Amino acid sequence: MDLVRKQAPWLPLLLHLPLLHLLHFLFILVSLNTNSGGHAVIGFYFAKELLGSGHEEITRAGGKTMWGDPADVGNVVAGATFDVVLDNNGKDLDTVRPVIDRAKSSGVKQFLFISSAGIYKPTDEPPHVEGIKQNLHYCRMSGSGVEKYIAEVFGSWAVFRPQYMIRSGNNKDCEEWFFDRIVRNRPVPIPGSGMQLTNIAHVRDLSSMLTLAVEKPEAASCNIFNCVSHRAMTLDGMARLCAEAAGLPVEIVHHDPKAVGIDAKKAFPFRNMHVYSEPRAAKDILGWEGTTNLQEDLKERFKEYVKIGRDKKPMQFEIDDKILEALKVPVAV
Amino acid sequence: MAKLVVLQPTKQPPISLLSSSLSHFNGTKLCQIQYKRKVCQPKGALHVAASSTKKILIMGGTRFIGVFLSRLLVKEGHQVTLFTRGKAPVTQQLPGESDSDYSDFKSKILHLKGDRQDFEFVKSSLSAEGFDVVYDINGREAVEVEPILDALPNLEQFIYCSSAGVYLKSDILPHCEVDAVDPKSRHKGKLNTESLLEKSGVNWTSLRPVYIYGPLNYNPVEEWFFHRLKAGRPIPIPNSGVQITQLGHVKDLATAFVRVLGNEKASKQVFNISGEKYVTFDGLAKACAKAGGFPEPEIVHYNPKEFDFGKKKAFPFRDQHFFASVEKAKHVLGLKPEFDLVEGLTDSYNLDFGRGTYRKEADFSTDDMILNKTFALQS
Repeated sequence: MDLVRKQAPWLPLLLHLPLLHLLHFLFILVSLNTNSGGHAVIGFYFAKELLGSGHEEITRAGGKTMWGDPADVGNVVAGATFDVVLDNNGKDLDTVRPVIDRAKSSGVKQFLFISSAGIYKPTDEPPHVEGIKQNLHYCRMSGSGVEKYIAEVFGSWAVFRPQYMIRSGNNKDCEEWFFDRIVRNRPVPIPGSGMQLTNIAHVRDLSSMLTLAVEKPEAASCNIFNCVSHRAMTLDGMARLCAEAAGLPVEIVHHDPKAVGIDAKKAFPFRNMHVYSEPRAAKDILGWEGTTNLQEDLKERFKEYVKIGRDKKPMQFEIDDKILEALKVPVAV
Repeated sequence: MAKLVVLQPTKQPPISLLSSSLSHFNGTKLCQIQYKRKVCQPKGALHVAASSTKKILIMGGTRFIGVFLSRLLVKEGHQVTLFTRGKAPVTQQLPGESDSDYSDFKSKILHLKGDRQDFEFVKSSLSAEGFDVVYDINGREAVEVEPILDALPNLEQFIYCSSAGVYLKSDILPHCEVDAVDPKSRHKGKLNTESLLEKSGVNWTSLRPVYIYGPLNYNPVEEWFFHRLKAGRPIPIPNSGVQITQLGHVKDLATAFVRVLGNEKASKQVFNISGEKYVTFDGLAKACAKAGGFPEPEIVHYNPKEFDFGKKKAFPFRDQHFFASVEKAKHVLGLKPEFDLVEGLTDSYNLDFGRGTYRKEADFSTDDMILNKTFALQS
């Protein structure tokens, strides 16, 4: 025991568990960046779900926390051994490489990486699908350099490509952007036709998918999973559902960002195109089922939105005002 | 699939009817056991690879879907009868079909001549013949199905060609089999038929295709694009062109119809049947161009509200998203479409429209209205 204590100073935290249990649980490292965009929320939720189902984990938030710079992960978790690493932090190879390398050298069996469905190229034939499962010995990768590197280094890996998510604690505005305007009786300016389709999932769907991958490592191995709800929605539809959830009317106004002369990214939280994938690999390979029910989930979210007082918060709508001003002049959409 | 007990191997070859499913057992006495087991099972419940011969009636079968479906069923060894008025020839050789295949099919297919709107005749003729399975490919209203059910009280299965057009328009897509349907839709007759089947207690299966395409298509789906591409004309597409639709090849649909025959997993179930990927309107124009070996088309977008086309249709699709998930058929029936979009359109072009055959003459009058206004604005 003393030897173990030297190598892994955090182990005493777990000593209350019978040794037998330690052998059965998976040790999972979840590397989070709490300041990053939408991904932080996945880690929190995933952590909760895993702890609920009996896996022990060390995370950067909640539960048993270890703080440190992900680039310094080697020192932060010195001596600790993990079975599974979930990296929810990486944007580029430089950030993720130390985690991957450290994981490999310490004998981690399964590497899970949260990528993004945003890397798919636009297509005339939606939805984005992952492609067929490759032979374990040769895993074909497309997309970012990070995904490629993981496939080179690890025998058992899985990559998850999420899109937009709703859930409290999310740093990135999604439904809130619509609520902000609806509760203040402001028009909702949507770029383009409003027919663009996107998947907006509740984060519990993503979390359940990650959990399944941990529980079925062989099935999940060498696969890419679109981490999205099983249903997509139009942008206009999202505005309507948010209004329905709030019990308020909505006025949707379409515009052409280029014609108005605004930065589309700042003006609207979604891309002005179809961003539409389907979670076919997760269904086929992991037997995953989605539970997102936007009608119900948005009602929940609206209650929370009001609870934190965001509906009363004073806000500026400079870009919106610019759009609405410009629309007094007819613009080709 | 029931668990089979392995007995002592014998040197006898397996019974040929069941040999395909038992080849790996090397001719054991299993054959006997399986045959006996089949007889004890309720009719139509057991799905074996080489099905027992069925006496099948197809309502329709001489125009589009049934043409392909009847061939597959005859090949499987079933006795197939087509119920039609006889306006179209009962059989015609398909482009690409060999003489021997055609004559084999022609010699085996049977015809029952009649008008299905004559309900008394339907009831009496079907009752006199007796059929194990009915495929209703051209039914539109529930009343048309009643005499069939009345005539065949011991029917093993009623397989219906419904439509994804029954789904209620929604912001949440794709349409899935569990979704709300629209009792006011243009296809409410199909819905009423499905309800009738449900209430009647018969073993029914309903397939809901989206847009069907392929050789012999009489609905101007791909034909509309091919006319314009051949004429070297721009393709006018309403609004943004990002509306998403979905095409399913007729041969894949025919395969789906065969897959549900005698399949207990299909009992009293609805399945969406179409292509695995969807396509935008703009994307479809490009895919048709690829299929026919045409250069990338010039697409012109317009606002349909600015025009009065009268009774003419300026574009063959509904101006909205319209597509359905085929995951249920994939998971429950193991159905995977053979054709992807460009492959399927190529098949249609090579075997039909590319040969100069078409159902409707090209009519560019609405195109000209659109193009004249568009180019007038630009100049």
